[in-house]
Amino acid sequence: MIEKNETHHPDTIEQVEEFHLLDPRAIKLWRTRSLASFGIFILVMLAVAVSLGIAVPVTRTWLALGWGALTMIYLWFSFWFPPRYYRSWRWRIDARVLELRHGRLIERMRLIPLARLQHVDLKRGPLERMFGLASLVIHTAGTHAALTTIPGLEAEVAIRLRDHLVEIGGDDAV
Amino acid sequence: MPFEDFTPPQALEKLGQGIKVFEGRLHPLTLIISLLKYGRALVPALALVLFGNRWAGAPLLFFTVIGLAATFIKYFSFKYRIENNELITQEGLIEKRQRHIPLERIQEITIEQGVLHRILGVVDAKVETGSGGGAEASLSVLSRAEADKFRQMVFAHAAAIRAGKTSTDETTPNDAVAVEPETVVIRRLAIRELVVAGLTSNHLLSALALAGAVWNFADDLLPDAIYAKTGRLISREAKHLADQGIEWAIAVSVAGIVAIALIGIIFSVIGSVVLFYGFTFSRRGDDLQRRYGLLTRRSSSLPRRRIQVLEIEEKALRRLFGWATLRADTSGRGRESSDDNKGRDVLLPIVPVRDVDELLPGIFPDVSFAETDWRRVSSRAVLRETVEISVICLVIAAALFFWSRSWWALLPLVLIPLAYWLFGLSYRQLGYALSNAYLRTRRGWLGRSTHIVPISKIQAVEVHQSPFDRWWGMATLTVDTAGQAFTGGGPQISNLPVLEARELATVLAQRASVTRYKW
Repeated sequence: MIEKNETHHPDTIEQVEEFHLLDPRAIKLWRTRSLASFGIFILVMLAVAVSLGIAVPVTRTWLALGWGALTMIYLWFSFWFPPRYYRSWRWRIDARVLELRHGRLIERMRLIPLARLQHVDLKRGPLERMFGLASLVIHTAGTHAALTTIPGLEAEVAIRLRDHLVEIGGDDAV
Repeated sequence: MPFEDFTPPQALEKLGQGIKVFEGRLHPLTLIISLLKYGRALVPALALVLFGNRWAGAPLLFFTVIGLAATFIKYFSFKYRIENNELITQEGLIEKRQRHIPLERIQEITIEQGVLHRILGVVDAKVETGSGGGAEASLSVLSRAEADKFRQMVFAHAAAIRAGKTSTDETTPNDAVAVEPETVVIRRLAIRELVVAGLTSNHLLSALALAGAVWNFADDLLPDAIYAKTGRLISREAKHLADQGIEWAIAVSVAGIVAIALIGIIFSVIGSVVLFYGFTFSRRGDDLQRRYGLLTRRSSSLPRRRIQVLEIEEKALRRLFGWATLRADTSGRGRESSDDNKGRDVLLPIVPVRDVDELLPGIFPDVSFAETDWRRVSSRAVLRETVEISVICLVIAAALFFWSRSWWALLPLVLIPLAYWLFGLSYRQLGYALSNAYLRTRRGWLGRSTHIVPISKIQAVEVHQSPFDRWWGMATLTVDTAGQAFTGGGPQISNLPVLEARELATVLAQRASVTRYKW
């Protein structure tokens, strides 16, 4: 495996931190968000399909099938997906690194050295406020992974984590 | 200006002595050059207004005059100075715009000198910071001597500021910031090498570019009747050829293709020599300097600690003959479409692979390229790729067979051994090596690309696993750094055993976190 050179930098972490899950209310948040935004789209599509069906009767079957398929995807995305995505999400932080793991189809693990933090945003939209949640957006100077979001944190946890990150990180902003 | 005499006490302390270090304006020739530049547009615009279509000419004239006025205003109002630890530019007649650029943030200063500039002995200087979106300050035009002095001043003071601070950057030893900088030539490129660079570059692309340029030019000049005439000529000749028999037609087509390829090669060689003529790559203290160009002379200074990733690129053709290209990325600089034509995308356009280790210490201290114990990826990588491609080939062949009922449908299966051979090549290239201060990764098939990242420049590490990866217990590791414009997406290793990938990622992130990142 990797040759460990303990003389320069200790690679071993003194204690391995436990993973944290997101707040379970995140599932409700994602469902509501998806129902609200995608739902409007489904209704608009229904209106389009109905008017097209009246104008061109031949296409009725295809329109019904298409709309049905869209609705199935919509229901899947709104009900089946959120709890599973929720279960895929975990994060942990030790003295040096913030680690995030998420994704169902493609599993991702992202490690951000805390010394590389540029700044941290706390985001609370109206829906998130309703559920008492918040997202943290972490900025690094990177290119394709410059933005990292931890969604669906309990508001208080998010604020504490933000304060902690601000205190710890970014000592080398120049 | 209410805050004109305000100087931050901290900054004064750092520099210790003189506050205003350097002050200047644009060279008076700015006016002549802008007159010549806009004069070219002014003449046809005027002619159009006076003798031709007034409605088309008036806006053209208007914009030309506005542009000319803007450069005049810029000339008379533009001032720049180095004060405390900032470069301050000021311009504008009515509304004065001031821009403060901290010297420590300056990434690169490029100096460009077109043919006209060379006759007049002046240059364009551009100051780049990590903000992306082009130059932060454009000093156009300065005298040659002033630009050189300016560049030296900026980097000397940035170094002085850094030395004043407590430096804990492990990758750059303090003594690298030389007290009395002396220019050390790392590499000079001979014309022979530039010819090789042209011969081994992408001919098809340059041939197409040439054809496009000729077409554009011809389209402007030729009347439409020519097209009809040419069309008739071609169809008559084609018919004539068809009468001569199929062999003739094939011979003519082959000759045509060869001619186009030859023209492409000739033009890439000429392009390479003109662009990189007299290429000199040198180091002055911590600054990497490049000078090149036959018609337009270009030079740039790049502090080497700004380099985020170094790529040693060996494209298939060049690798065959043992040549490589060096590319480097600095933080936050996006790629611009004109960069390639200006040679900005390469640090060193061409160098024999065996010499890379010799000049590497000039860029990154204590790292090697050839003498490396590469750690390979999962031993099942070749099997995995071959199985995956076989499945795809089988599906295609089956579909073709059911559709056509012909044995020719099984042709895609021939690809499998070929793919197996390529994956074997790829497996032997793919790997990584971790040392105290650097991560090196390598990938490629016929060609090869090697990335060297100082661990202190790592911004984030990502491991991702697709469903196929999960099936084979493998993963892909990606290292994110600031500004990946020229090095082909930065370091990436696929087909790593998943546990190894996770451990490597953790080690990298942990180590990166105890190093200080410096812009």
